[in-house]
Amino acid sequence: MKFSYNWIRELVDGLDCAPGALEKLITMKTAECEGIEVSGALLDRACAALVESVEPIPGGHNVKTVVDAGRYGRKTVVCGAPNCRAGIITAYVPIGKKTIQGVESDGMLASAAELDISRDHTGILELDLQIGAPLPGCFPDSVIEIDNKSITHRPDLWGHLGMAREVAALQGRSLKDPVHVGMLPEGPAPIKIEVENLSLCPRYSALVFENVTVKPSPLWLQTRLTAIGLNPINNVVDMTNYIMAELAQPMHAFDANLLRGGTIYVRPARPGERLRALNEEEYTLDPSNLVIADAGGAIALGGVIGGLDSAISGKTTRVVLESANFLASSVRRTSAVLKLRTDASMRFEKAQDPHNTVRGLARAIELLSELSPGIRLVGGVADRKRELPAAPVIPLPLDFVARKLGREVGRIEVRSILERMGFGVAEADAGIFAVTVPSWRATKDVTIKDDLVEEVGRMVGYDSITPQAPLVPSAAPPRNPERRFQHEVRDLFADLGFTEVYNYSFLSEDAVRAFGSDPAEHIRVTNPIASDQALLRTSLLPGVWKNINENLKHREAFRIFEIGLEIHKRGNSLPEEIPHLLAAIYERQGDGAAGLFEIKRAAECLMPGAQLCPAEARAFEHPARAADVLWKGEKAGRLFELHPSLVETGRAAILDVNLQLAQRLAVGEKKYTPIRRYPSSAFDLSVVAGLRDQAGSLESAIRSFAGPLLESIHFLRQYSGPPLPEGSKSVSFRLTVGSPERTLSSDEVAQVRNQIIEGMRGRGYELRV
Amino acid sequence: MLEQSIQELESSSLARIASARSLEELEVVRVSVLGRKEGALTHMMKELGKLPPEERKSTGKLVNAAKQKLEEALAAREKQFADDTLRARLDTEWIDLTLPAPGPRRGHLHPITQIQQELEDLFVSLGFAVLDGPEAETEYHNFDALNIPATHPARDAQDTFWLEGSNLLLRTHTSPVQVRGMEKLGPPLRIVAPGRVFRNESVDASHEHTFYQIEGMMVDRDVSVAHLLYFMKVMLAGVFQREVSVRLRPGYFPFVEPGFELDIQCLLCGGSGCPVCKQSGWVEQLGCGLVHPNVLRMSGIDPEEWSGFAFGLGLTRLVMMRYGIDDIRHLQGGDLRFLEQF
Repeated sequence: MKFSYNWIRELVDGLDCAPGALEKLITMKTAECEGIEVSGALLDRACAALVESVEPIPGGHNVKTVVDAGRYGRKTVVCGAPNCRAGIITAYVPIGKKTIQGVESDGMLASAAELDISRDHTGILELDLQIGAPLPGCFPDSVIEIDNKSITHRPDLWGHLGMAREVAALQGRSLKDPVHVGMLPEGPAPIKIEVENLSLCPRYSALVFENVTVKPSPLWLQTRLTAIGLNPINNVVDMTNYIMAELAQPMHAFDANLLRGGTIYVRPARPGERLRALNEEEYTLDPSNLVIADAGGAIALGGVIGGLDSAISGKTTRVVLESANFLASSVRRTSAVLKLRTDASMRFEKAQDPHNTVRGLARAIELLSELSPGIRLVGGVADRKRELPAAPVIPLPLDFVARKLGREVGRIEVRSILERMGFGVAEADAGIFAVTVPSWRATKDVTIKDDLVEEVGRMVGYDSITPQAPLVPSAAPPRNPERRFQHEVRDLFADLGFTEVYNYSFLSEDAVRAFGSDPAEHIRVTNPIASDQALLRTSLLPGVWKNINENLKHREAFRIFEIGLEIHKRGNSLPEEIPHLLAAIYERQGDGAAGLFEIKRAAECLMPGAQLCPAEARAFEHPARAADVLWKGEKAGRLFELHPSLVETGRAAILDVNLQLAQRLAVGEKKYTPIRRYPSSAFDLSVVAGLRDQAGSLESAIRSFAGPLLESIHFLRQYSGPPLPEGSKSVSFRLTVGSPERTLSSDEVAQVRNQIIEGMRGRGYELRV
Repeated sequence: MLEQSIQELESSSLARIASARSLEELEVVRVSVLGRKEGALTHMMKELGKLPPEERKSTGKLVNAAKQKLEEALAAREKQFADDTLRARLDTEWIDLTLPAPGPRRGHLHPITQIQQELEDLFVSLGFAVLDGPEAETEYHNFDALNIPATHPARDAQDTFWLEGSNLLLRTHTSPVQVRGMEKLGPPLRIVAPGRVFRNESVDASHEHTFYQIEGMMVDRDVSVAHLLYFMKVMLAGVFQREVSVRLRPGYFPFVEPGFELDIQCLLCGGSGCPVCKQSGWVEQLGCGLVHPNVLRMSGIDPEEWSGFAFGLGLTRLVMMRYGIDDIRHLQGGDLRFLEQF
């Protein structure tokens, strides 16, 4: 929302605060300012000038003119406007000399756009003014832009009068209300208003004017609208926009001659009812949209936009002027569903003051008599309304203010602050004020005593509050072991050389399919940022895969990991979010084995004692290099090499761990067992096995035959080649046997050894002794 | 006569020990002087018995002294040889320690992780629990329970990603964890909730649809703006590792009343005005306020009995400020050339 400094100054008696200071004041006390811009900087120098002669300049469309610019004298100016001709009065601005196409041009002849009067840049201004006269009512202005988010709760600040009221209160000045309700005509209304549901439209007020002349607005009005970003159209429409910007009361003017019948209906749209709107779009409506209608159908979308078919035009001579109040939530819904945000809908959705409708009409009478001389009112005000709500009264205990703010504010000060802001204050009981909320703050904004604390707080200034430590018991907070575990995993992987990446939670259907999932099993974003970011990730792999292929352009080898949530669809209930670790080692050189074993070591650091259990590879895994990671009997993760066809060049080893499960498994009681007192015995065994027999299976077979005396078994080495037969290998283990109660005799050791040899033979394995 | 020979033997032997050039040469000296069979001094000791008793004692002393001296000299020389040998061997074991260590260098934690962990540690030390909430949230927790009903225009300020299915969305802020925290812990409570949030915005150098926040909340008896200010100052001093000046301005968030924007005095110019603070001397840092009674009530907490403050801080923005990162897209770009700088 843009605010004109000139406009605020007109409404605040004796305001002497410069624009910059005002901006700062508003920021600290009321709402966030996004900046100040000067609009119409040239206006204080512009004056009316007569074009005396025009002479073409060869080789272009520019002309050389001589103008009589009053106090600036006679000037030669080069001008390129198509409407530049001898005899017109236009605007001259002395901006210095400049040579254009060999002609020295002193100053410029200006278009309305160049002066910030309107957006019209089709030609230079054509004025009806005395030579040398300034442009009446047109001055440079400072435009303060307020962040709309910061006034969402303040319907009154969507108009200059509301901001002026705030400024007047801040500065201890008085407010000049531009509305004279005494101007409202008495007598029967010339039109009938029928409101079907007064909760959707609590008030609909209207006036009828005749003998209207539609023409461009005077320059001062155009300048003011342009300064705050509104586009001047014609005097009647500009008047409605002016009042909206001043009083926060959106209005709409219908061409009365184009209305069918003498009644205006406010009703839900009929299913499929259509409306051609002022923006030249056609909307198909349903009963959730509130329309303004005549006997022939919808003529406007209530609180949102007017209809094109009843719009003000050059032919308009009679006008029905609507000044209504609509239910905020209904306007908001319609505006959201139709994706149609207008200046009117933005204001109505903040819940406007129903008292304001007739004030708008009174202001319109005054403005139109200036903008369209000869205009006449027809009859009195048509005003259909629900009973206006009584002003709410909020009990405010003074100690509540002090307890909330953390500082005392005196009785007199609280009272004076609230009264300055337009609240009524009475002392109900000792130490308790009864605060009456003014109508412009009563729709939604101020409803509870906490809202009044804010009013007092911002006026005394939050900088007057001294930070203070609370007196609360010191206690260790509840732990968050899941998060703690994730941080430990992060630290571990960073120590092991992995760098952490963050990827988006969104995936494309293609990426999902490439990793063997069904898009239908993913949660879909209904309004994705792009069609290829419509699914929520059920795996971190696609993201890391992308990281691998991008980083391999710059790196020979690297290690990366991500910890993030997989989001799984779970019927109609809340999705299941499972934290996962996805780690990858990429190496451009080599056969990939080193990376796989390094990542296996990382897995074992994370999950001591975890085992790899080779498993059938999925399509995106290397068909001969994929395994489940078993930890404490549960499948906690997966380790594999990415299918080489998915990596541009080189190899990528991947570890995917379910951290929710791993965290649960990591929690284990540690128990001390006494250090063995009797010496153990060690011996080596070599098993002759097939080339693809797994060391892990051999080890567990040996373990199963060894019996309870086995202390440990370690893989030593494997060997293939002569003298072993083709297609076989020898796998050697070192076994340690012993007993906590005694030293084993050599016979006992030999017995264990023989047990194993026999057992393994039973499984078809020879042992090299 | 014998005394003189002892002294001569001693001095000549010491000279030979000193000039021996190897362990072998030294052994020759030892054998020739102290050897059991041919040693000159050994021989003299054997001769002692032939001396008259009165001479025997004094000469014996001399011989023993000479023996001890020579043994010590031999041992010292021997050690010298051993030391030289060891030194020579160790010298061959020279290693170029400027060569890089094998194995990978330490990896890097994401800058957001780092700042998030710092803040978590800080708040835990202040007695706050760290809570998590789901990224795919219910409309109720993200909006309604925070005093933002469907008809509220404040919803427009948070462009929401909606999920198919009933009333699910990607959380637009970490504030729903306030609600979950109140539901879970009840009053009094002190919680923080860092995490990933989503807004349906097009991505450019300064806008992201995915970013990080940390939410904080304290509910207790008579929690005031003064308490809020205290914790904000403690937090920001922890973040920036120095005392910071803060100011509160009115700010509107439907789940707090009163609501504030908290600015910190520009750390670059100290408040005198510079491009970073757009010449204002202040930089917007976070949104905060006293918890709205409706929010407490919705979570089953009686606002007449309890009150609280809440704040929300953009971690992504904080990281960008701290490291001077000019393009937000780097943070989720996965480029090691970026990530390895932290």
